[in-house]
Amino acid sequence: MKHTPTITKNKDGSPVVLELQNIKKSFVMPGGDPLLILDIPSFHIDAGELVALEGQSGSGKSTLLNVISGISRPDSGHVLISGLDIVKLAESQRDRLRADRVGLIFQQFNLLPGFTALENVLVAMSFGSAVADKVRAESLLESVGLADRLHHKPAALSIGQQQRVAVARALANRPRILLADEPTASIDPAHQQQVIDLLQTTCQDENVALLVVTHAPEIAKQFPIRYRLENFNRAVAVHPTTNEVR
Amino acid sequence: MSLLGIAWRNIRQRTFTSGLTALSMALGVALVVATLVTGGIVKQAFESGAGLGYNMIVGAKGSPLQLVLNSVYFISKPIENISWATYAKFLPASERPDNKDGIWATSTQTAVPICMGDYYQGHRVIGTNATYFDRLNRGNGEQFEFSAGSNFRDQDLYSAVIGSQVARTLNLRVNNEIAPTHGADDGKVHDPFQIVGILARTDTPIDRGVFVNMEGFYLQDGHAKPIDSTDMTQEPQAAEDTFAGEGLLPFNQREVTAILLETAALPGLPAELTAMGLRNAINEGRDAQAALPIAEIRVLLDLFVTPLELLLLLVTTLVVIVSAIGILVSMVGSSLERSRDVAIMRALGARRSVVLATVLMEAILLAVGGGIIGWLLGHGTVGLIGPWIATNAGVSVGLFSYTTTEILLVPFLIVLAILAALLPAVAAYRTDVSRWLG
Repeated sequence: MKHTPTITKNKDGSPVVLELQNIKKSFVMPGGDPLLILDIPSFHIDAGELVALEGQSGSGKSTLLNVISGISRPDSGHVLISGLDIVKLAESQRDRLRADRVGLIFQQFNLLPGFTALENVLVAMSFGSAVADKVRAESLLESVGLADRLHHKPAALSIGQQQRVAVARALANRPRILLADEPTASIDPAHQQQVIDLLQTTCQDENVALLVVTHAPEIAKQFPIRYRLENFNRAVAVHPTTNEVR
Repeated sequence: MSLLGIAWRNIRQRTFTSGLTALSMALGVALVVATLVTGGIVKQAFESGAGLGYNMIVGAKGSPLQLVLNSVYFISKPIENISWATYAKFLPASERPDNKDGIWATSTQTAVPICMGDYYQGHRVIGTNATYFDRLNRGNGEQFEFSAGSNFRDQDLYSAVIGSQVARTLNLRVNNEIAPTHGADDGKVHDPFQIVGILARTDTPIDRGVFVNMEGFYLQDGHAKPIDSTDMTQEPQAAEDTFAGEGLLPFNQREVTAILLETAALPGLPAELTAMGLRNAINEGRDAQAALPIAEIRVLLDLFVTPLELLLLLVTTLVVIVSAIGILVSMVGSSLERSRDVAIMRALGARRSVVLATVLMEAILLAVGGGIIGWLLGHGTVGLIGPWIATNAGVSVGLFSYTTTEILLVPFLIVLAILAALLPAVAAYRTDVSRWLG
């Protein structure tokens, strides 16, 4: 008999944006032995919350984001996005849910090189349920300060501008949560703060939950809610903190 | 953004390789189109064959195909000649010295004699009478037109009409004189004929012909049939029956190479049946054979042209398939770059079926885009070589000539593109997002 997860709800009765329950994920080693990468008993983020998840390289941060976004499935446990357990969904349904409710920002930005800034946002819209809205795409790019770069291709944009396009693209389908994987790792220190400010501001403006994973404590410290992934025999635990790592 | 839009941007992203792939496809399709159009139109024109003003050719016994090729297309050598008496069988009483209808006169609408064997600077010289241009047609029922001068009159013995290509290549004008040579270009030089008319371009073998008055032709050395007094098979003829006119070659010394015949419908009989009856009657005799140009050309097409066309089509189709493999190579070559793009799209929420369709659409765009360019290129080429085809094959092929087979190119290219792109499309379908973006 399958276990049905208990959904954590807000005071108004609505489910939290993201909830993880008993997530376990392991990879098979070349010798055939399993290597436990994720072991997360409980974790949740609500609408508008700005959360940093700190962890060293190889600690499973990207794997966790893949599990949350539905790109890969956990070995066990539940991933609830606005109360919907995506682990039970077929891949095509997870794809659609990711397009509609989850925004992704990558360390390397991962803009499509053959598309202009505007087209990069529009193409993300075309994978969602709603009709691609050119006005919103332009408005998003204007809000990140790229009004005069709409028709530039990534190669013609600076690193900072490319990251802004990535932010606009992640917000294209009005997601419930935005997942950012080392969003400042490829940016020089002078511009790192701008990216963090941009992410926090835009997510607050759009009332979108933000989960930033980073290896840099100085980045994590700037978030009101911080977590840390720790290694323990390759098992990973998540500890909620207020403003410091326990 | 639609699948088409995404595929188009992917193509633009790799402009150089995409351009080369499309060009390769374009050249392949251009070859196919050129083969189809020239083969198809030439066949169609040959097969229709109507509107020339004659439907039967009478000539010496032998190969009917050779008779047609020689008489209509001025290709190959004449088989032999037939007697004037045979020609006279098709003439009405008004054109015969005995004032009696020839035995086949009632079945005959028009009978135009032609005499061949002379040349003028590489061009065939055809001795005929004024009815050739007065009664026959240039094709499709259109009458002959003269760009300069006019048709010769039968009483002007040394007059000639030349085709447009002869006039152009030899820079001849009305009133110029031309002296044919006997049997070959280096043969005995005959008396000169004066050009009285230059035909407007017909895009038929007529353009290559030099037409001289038959009466002048007969008066040249070697053109009169010697009378063999010991030949007991010939019935002696009265002098008045052989007299053709003052200064003209007597009828009994005349021969014709062929007769271009338009049959008439006998009362109560359809024209086709009359023609069949006449052909059988002629062929049963010992003097001549009757050939139907359309039937002979169909034999020619079935024996040589169609297999050759099929062979060409096979070769050109292979070229297109090689071009399609070019699409595959191009896509496999850019698979690393593509895998990253596919992973990005998948991370943004694109389903596997969407990325698969995008790759297939990209291949279809390349194939169909290249195909359209190739189609235009093919027709452009045909338009350019149309005059050459017209001159050598004797049919007019224009820029916008087309065959219905060309319509099949579209589904063919789409299927080919899908087959070529299947491998990279499946690879895209299977792309591991976490591997490429992790």
